[in-house]
Amino acid sequence: MKTHVAEPWVEAPLQRFVDDARVLFALLLHPNGQVLGQFGFTRAVDVMAACALAAGIHASAGQLGRELDGKPFRELYHAGRERQIFIGEVLTAREGFIFLTAFGDESSLGLVRVFFAQLSGALAKVVPPRVEGPPIPAASLERDLARSLAALFGRASAPGDDGDPVPDPRS
Amino acid sequence: MSSPFEDVLAALIRQRGVLGCLVVGESDGIVVDSNVQVGVAENVVAALAASLFRRARLSSQAAGLGHITFLQLEAEGGHVCAVGREGLVIVTLAEPRAHIGLIRGAMLASVETLT
Repeated sequence: MKTHVAEPWVEAPLQRFVDDARVLFALLLHPNGQVLGQFGFTRAVDVMAACALAAGIHASAGQLGRELDGKPFRELYHAGRERQIFIGEVLTAREGFIFLTAFGDESSLGLVRVFFAQLSGALAKVVPPRVEGPPIPAASLERDLARSLAALFGRASAPGDDGDPVPDPRS
Repeated sequence: MSSPFEDVLAALIRQRGVLGCLVVGESDGIVVDSNVQVGVAENVVAALAASLFRRARLSSQAAGLGHITFLQLEAEGGHVCAVGREGLVIVTLAEPRAHIGLIRGAMLASVETLT
């Protein structure tokens, strides 16, 4: 299976990670929850949920690490009965990204950590420089989130593309 | 803090041409204990060797050959040897000049300590 990316510089490193580590799912996202690339998901809503949860878990773990150890925890691992989850922070010169992957018997925590280190190094080399701009308003942020999902799954899957207002999920 | 595998690893590292030896979890590929020379990427070796051993074990069982007693990978720059039991794998890295027969004997004797 092939990875799907919202930004082209993510594709080669992410595809290589997936091929090498033999994981079931992989997700690279901004700390704000905006997806950059994914593997294994078939529905936009699942990516959206996974991004929101990963960003929340990462933020919580980071703060917990600061409280306990004076610095944020950078990697988290949860073992289920059949599937396991690894969440790590990709540090680059531009900014940090969050990486989430789920794997089963075909892989192992050791392999995932080894290939995650390679992925982090590869992404740090190819990440484009940050474009400075004004603060992002909330509506624009939601549009960006929707646009990333649209890039991964096609326009029909993501509301709010083309500058249309994003429907309020509470309404 | 000493581990129950300290003596086993010390005996293996003393063999001529051995660059490092590790006790690794077979399912997770994480290092339990190790004794390696400087420059050996133990986490990488552990993860890949454990995966290799696991797949070899599954292949052997699928082929009806039973349990793996000793796994040896011969490469241009040396050898990777592995023995396993009870979910743990002993991995030894050795130079091409190493005496594999002696290493094999030491590893097979050591595997009894994996419980």
